[in-house]
Amino acid sequence: MEPIIDLKKLRLKFPGEERLLLKDTNLTIYKGEKVLLLGPSGCGKSTLLQVLGGIIPRSIDVPMKAEHRQLPNSVGYVFQDPECQFCMPYVDEEIAFVLENLQVPRVEMRDKITEYLRKVGLHDVPLHTKINSLSGGQKQRLAIASILALEPEVLLLDEPTAMLDPYGTKQVWSTILDIMTDQTLIVVEHKIDHVIDLIERIIVFDESGEILVDSPKKEVIDRHLPLLKSHGIWYPGVWEEYLSCKVRRESSTSTSSGSIMIMKDFHVYRKKEVYASVDELKIDQGEWITVVGENGAGKSTLLLGMMQLLKTSGDYEIHGVRVIPKIDLSRKIAYVFQNPEFQFVAHSVFDEVAFSLRLEGEEESVIEKKVDELLTKFSLFDHRHKHPYQLSMGQKRRLSVATAILNKQKILLLDEPTFGQDSKNTFELLELLEKERKAGTVIVMITHDERIVENFATRKWMMKEGKIVEDTFVTKRKAVYS
Amino acid sequence: MNAMKETWMYHINPTFKLFVMLVVFILILLIHNPNTLLNVTMLLFLLFLLFNGHSLKVVLLLLLPFLLIFVSTSSSMIMFGKGDTTWVKWGLIHITEESFFRGIHIGLRALAFGLLGLLFSLTTKPVNLFYSLMQQARLSPKYAYSFLAGYRLIPIMLEEFQVIHRAMKVRGVGRQKGWSGIVNKLKAYTIPLLSQSIRRAFRIGVAMEAKQFTTNAKRTYYYKIGFSKRDLYFVCVISLILTSAYILSTHFPYVPIQDVRYETTLTL
Amino acid sequence: MNKGLKLTDVLVTIVISIVFGVVYKLWGPLYNVVKPLGLHIDQLMYGMWFIAATVAFLLIRKPGVALLAEVTASSGEFLMGSEYGLEVLLYGVFQGLGAELVFLLFFYRRFDVVVVSLAAIGSAIGSIVLDASKGYIGDLALWNLSLYISARVIGSILLAGIFAHILVKALEKTGVTSLLRQSSAADHDALNR
Ligand SMILES: Nc1ncnc2c1ncn2[C@@H]1O[C@H](COP(=O)(O)OP(=O)(O)OP(=O)(O)O)[C@@H](O)[C@H]1O
Ligand SMILES: Nc1ncnc2c1ncn2[C@@H]1O[C@H](COP(=O)(O)OP(=O)(O)OP(=O)(O)O)[C@@H](O)[C@H]1O
Ligand SMILES: [Mg+2]
Ligand SMILES: [Mg+2]
Repeated sequence: MEPIIDLKKLRLKFPGEERLLLKDTNLTIYKGEKVLLLGPSGCGKSTLLQVLGGIIPRSIDVPMKAEHRQLPNSVGYVFQDPECQFCMPYVDEEIAFVLENLQVPRVEMRDKITEYLRKVGLHDVPLHTKINSLSGGQKQRLAIASILALEPEVLLLDEPTAMLDPYGTKQVWSTILDIMTDQTLIVVEHKIDHVIDLIERIIVFDESGEILVDSPKKEVIDRHLPLLKSHGIWYPGVWEEYLSCKVRRESSTSTSSGSIMIMKDFHVYRKKEVYASVDELKIDQGEWITVVGENGAGKSTLLLGMMQLLKTSGDYEIHGVRVIPKIDLSRKIAYVFQNPEFQFVAHSVFDEVAFSLRLEGEEESVIEKKVDELLTKFSLFDHRHKHPYQLSMGQKRRLSVATAILNKQKILLLDEPTFGQDSKNTFELLELLEKERKAGTVIVMITHDERIVENFATRKWMMKEGKIVEDTFVTKRKAVYS
Repeated sequence: MNAMKETWMYHINPTFKLFVMLVVFILILLIHNPNTLLNVTMLLFLLFLLFNGHSLKVVLLLLLPFLLIFVSTSSSMIMFGKGDTTWVKWGLIHITEESFFRGIHIGLRALAFGLLGLLFSLTTKPVNLFYSLMQQARLSPKYAYSFLAGYRLIPIMLEEFQVIHRAMKVRGVGRQKGWSGIVNKLKAYTIPLLSQSIRRAFRIGVAMEAKQFTTNAKRTYYYKIGFSKRDLYFVCVISLILTSAYILSTHFPYVPIQDVRYETTLTL
Repeated sequence: MNKGLKLTDVLVTIVISIVFGVVYKLWGPLYNVVKPLGLHIDQLMYGMWFIAATVAFLLIRKPGVALLAEVTASSGEFLMGSEYGLEVLLYGVFQGLGAELVFLLFFYRRFDVVVVSLAAIGSAIGSIVLDASKGYIGDLALWNLSLYISARVIGSILLAGIFAHILVKALEKTGVTSLLRQSSAADHDALNR
């Protein structure tokens, strides 16, 4: 077989960092192979993929060198973040932009655009639709459509479904399965379950970016599962494994009387229209509520409303006190945004976490101790000097959660706090939250992960079209830890 | 958006429209006779009112600054300009007949320029303008697409402002009080807004290059912007405005002044 | 070294210039409210219209950026329906050239307050040249004319010089400039260790 990518002794280092991120990495990928890159969050998967796509160093100037570097002529790249990969405002213009680059004659464009949209299942979307009005899943499928238009030799996918609901995830992967022909495919993904049918070869990295295993899929699954486990990587059966080694106990449903939160005829508005509403709800101490529902169901909207970040109407009480609209609730409620970048106000990871402690006027030595402790727990200690934007996707996510849980507010609103995380960090985070819950904190958390709902939640809200259509208590939580 | 009607002016080739307007701009600079200029301004105003295609409410709102600019541009020349025929003298202020008309003339000129520009921007879609500039004026796609991306980012930046506002609220930034609180707040908004737009621009650049956008290669165009009969109409209308303004002003002047400059070496 | 500006340089320049274009547009009415007060107090505010050139250059530090930024900001202002109309385009070109020439005189190697202030003066000269050809400013009484010019120069130093410099320093603290500037030789050397 003929190699399509061949890297010998690749070295790469971010400006101003002490450590080489990639040190003498060798990688050969052959034409038509379907490869999965696995590794703990922050090990350099996205960075390596950008090198493979030629984005580093062509568009992003990162110091790197390689003894030998053979890259494909044309690659299609789907980025981790759905928001920053479009350069035109409308669906048709976005694909046309690619066709223009390839000098496709104008008369052929319209047909081709329709064709590519059909291939990714976007045929029911009118051609001249604003990209901003698409749902997350539709956006990622559009990204794939415009990549198809490139007709690349190699497809590079960086967690294309991290922000999608289970349905959207399934659709995107089956879209990819459908369109795959003899192209080469390289995927970065934390959860293997979705992609296992698609791939043939798995490359596993460790925390420091070294290649641990590079074998056919079957061999990795048959022989190397303990290795994946020890590096905190998701693998099929990780939940069962995790649960079996924990002491199981029945859930202790909260007994304390007096509701923490009461909502009645509560409506949340965007642009003067109701986007989420609640008829009547009470939340008690020690509850862990998970909010589920498809993309665009209004989950984030509801939480933003509960934080008074969007206009609301109706009755809303916290600790028996009526909430005045638009009031600053930051002392009572901690919030984690869906997009972690929305959260950051400081210029370094350390300052970001220290920020709210400083606001409270804590002493600097106390702050330092507290912050470092928390950063270590979230595997961020080595990155404390970085700007929050320089972190990897998973690290950003963890940082945003860390900033929120530090201040000991008694209510936590979390918008998808576990997406893009490896298994080790996911469990760390969940256990931390469970500890908080035990201590009496109320947790309301949006997630697309059914396993989290089953195993950690005490209650589940199912949202559809802006309404909570199902409100069930999870009486038999499978995992509760001492 | 408000009720908008696409008049024929929307379908003039944008590059051509810009070119013609530039010529008119230069011609207006060469007019020193306030009579002619007044006619030109009035006729342009008529053209503007008839064909801008937007609702009256929007137009009035946009025209408001024009009054201001007329007053502000003319006033200092009226009060402090050179001249011999004194009307008022009061301290530093010295209004003469010459300075008065020169001031009015400058004000009218500013008005005419403004009308022309507003007519252009109201009747031209940026997408068409930049596609046309690439096709007719050989503007490098590197610049054209950057402009388009920039325009797309304006509403996104407004949203960004909200996002920053929310982050501040959630993190309790607003709790600081007093002067340092205000300064902090101002900094807390402008700096992230700018740095965010830089990051966003950078990411879009990366995405564009990942889609094989190369700056010097040839390319085809999704939107073809050509020429039409309307371009001809446009030249005719503009010529008509200029000539009739000139002829009217020579035959029916409003004021007996031919040239507002202080020391004119008469060339005509 | 490399020919011209990279796509990301151009994009970043244009995007921040459009932000300043919005500021330019809003600055117009403000300026016109102050202007009728006479005595050219307004001229102290004029420097804001040069700030795109200096800020963009300080950020990206490459030839051509100042001119591109100023032209972009003015065309942005124009397309947003500036009450000054087409005139702003011409002013953009002249003001941009003024700043660009100053940076050129220092071989694009100096980025301190002094050079930036000189560039701001360069823009001011550019704008005064156009004023002279359009607004009959030669026909202002002499004392008034000198007041006019000095107010504008002082204003440009304050806004497009010193303020721009402060702004960019604050932006550098956010770490965003590391995206825009070339990585240092030291970083490349570290690869060989
Ligand atoms: N611009 C930068 N400057 C400094 N360090 C950076 C920069 N970008 C990324 N890093 C660091 O490089 C490491 C690898 O980042 P990368 O995004 O490749 O991780 P990843 O394996 O994709 O992780 P994740 O699964 O969380 O997305 C991280 O530790 C990150 O903090
Ligand atoms: N900034 C916004 N402006 C206008 N409409 C918005 C905005 N954000 C979301 N919406 C709309 O509000 C509705 C609910 O969106 P919301 O973000 O609450 O969904 P969600 O359930 O959180 O979905 P996801 O799982 O994708 O995060 C959607 O129809 C969406 O299009
Ligand atoms: Mg990544
Ligand atoms: Mg959401």
